[in-house]
Amino acid sequence: MSVLDILLKYYPAFLNGLEVTLQLSSIIWGLGLFLGTLLAVAGTKFKYWIGIPSRCFSFLLSGIPILVFLFWLHYPAQSMLNLVINPFYTAALTLTIVNIFAVADIVRSALIDFPQQYLTAAKVTGLTKKQTIFKIQLPLILRTTLPALLMLQVVMLHTTLFASLISVEEIFRVAQRINAQIYRPVEIYTALGLFFLAVSLPINGFALWLRAHFTRDISET
Amino acid sequence: MLKATNIHKSFGNKDVLLGLDVSVKEGEITCLIGPSGTGKTTLLRALGGLDMPDQGTLDIDGTLYTFSPTHKDTIPDPWPHITVVFQSLFLWPHLTLRENILLPARNRWDDFKAMETELDGLIASFEMAHFIDQYPNEASLGQRQRVAIARAIMVKPKYILMDEITSSLDIEQVYKILTRLEELKGRGIGILLITHQIGFAKRAADHIVFMDKGETTESGNASILTEPKTKRLKEFLSMVKMAH
Ligand SMILES: Nc1ncnc2c1ncn2[C@@H]1O[C@H](COP(=O)(O)OP(=O)(O)O)[C@@H](O)[C@H]1O
Ligand SMILES: [Mg+2]
Repeated sequence: MSVLDILLKYYPAFLNGLEVTLQLSSIIWGLGLFLGTLLAVAGTKFKYWIGIPSRCFSFLLSGIPILVFLFWLHYPAQSMLNLVINPFYTAALTLTIVNIFAVADIVRSALIDFPQQYLTAAKVTGLTKKQTIFKIQLPLILRTTLPALLMLQVVMLHTTLFASLISVEEIFRVAQRINAQIYRPVEIYTALGLFFLAVSLPINGFALWLRAHFTRDISET
Repeated sequence: MLKATNIHKSFGNKDVLLGLDVSVKEGEITCLIGPSGTGKTTLLRALGGLDMPDQGTLDIDGTLYTFSPTHKDTIPDPWPHITVVFQSLFLWPHLTLRENILLPARNRWDDFKAMETELDGLIASFEMAHFIDQYPNEASLGQRQRVAIARAIMVKPKYILMDEITSSLDIEQVYKILTRLEELKGRGIGILLITHQIGFAKRAADHIVFMDKGETTESGNASILTEPKTKRLKEFLSMVKMAH
């Protein structure tokens, strides 16, 4: 059986797995980017209420393997709270939290390093606070952070595979299940590897291109 | 009137301004000249409400704000009523030059048609048509200087403070900007210009302040540039002449 044969025979299962993976990733990406950015902005504004606590939590999180965090939220947390949550949502929640704090870290350092002169220019020309944030700060920060953020999102896509370990039927688990039936690890995992390469490399390549492009663009001559 | 009296400012233990007086009247151009490192930019930032002086008084249109080591009045944001064109311009790099001008301008104009007309006039007189839709990093310093001036003009300020903004322009362009500044004067706008171009100051200024080492050494109308009274200004003028 070749890779093609396997795909032809099992494609509905693979498609289901792919769909779950993409759903999971979309939640993690969307919420992570949005809330992470918000957290970073709020953290610089409300330093004591949000900034410092969130950095402490982020520091704590950096010391816990994602898998342990995921399992901890899956078993101990739910049994303590007497809850049973669909593993899909547990995985989405865990990885979204990880993404939020990772995004916030990237955005926060960009905020701190933000060239003050652009804000001074916004001030003296009478831009409102809102305009300064949305028209000046965010676009410029996006340009400097986008490469790192994109690469992070690729890493987050890869971590969705951990969800298979709490029995979320995403693509890796589907692959494992099919492999258990037909025992074709070489073909199946090669196909899986190629799939992730095909998704990840363009994003990472784009990120590298952006980095080269915008770094030149923004430097003031 | 925008008036600073007895302004003191130090950075750490470095005393930069030692009791300076300067004022900018509506419809007048005040030129601030002096050697570099004497605190001209520091004074401009204080007048612009960006850095509070350690000591002294600021009078903004008749409202007094006083500063002392023990008490500092807070100034309600005076921008863009007072606006500043910085020596290093601070154009936003992600916006085209046109958008750099229009973004703040839109806040200040109700009639966008009239705004565009005004901008078209500026584009024509500052000869910006061929680069106005490019990004700041694609423009030369002289081009960016004209854009920064246009950006300040388009927010309809009452006072414009400008820090050596014609240094990279050729004589013809300086003359055009001068003409435009004189027109602004006519509209009652007060202008403070820091400049090294004595010829420019001579022609443009209603009032000239020569400062040296954080103090006002000599001030008056343009005649102080042809008949300086202090030795220090004489020396400065002859040095500037040699450099040009
Ligand atoms: N933010 C600052 N921190 C420390 N020193 C400063 C700062 N700004 C200006 N200075 C010092 O103050 C002096 C006057 O600077 P500046 O006002 O820029 O002079 P000018 O514009 O006349 O050339 C300089 O010696 C400069 O190093
Ligand atoms: Mg200066």
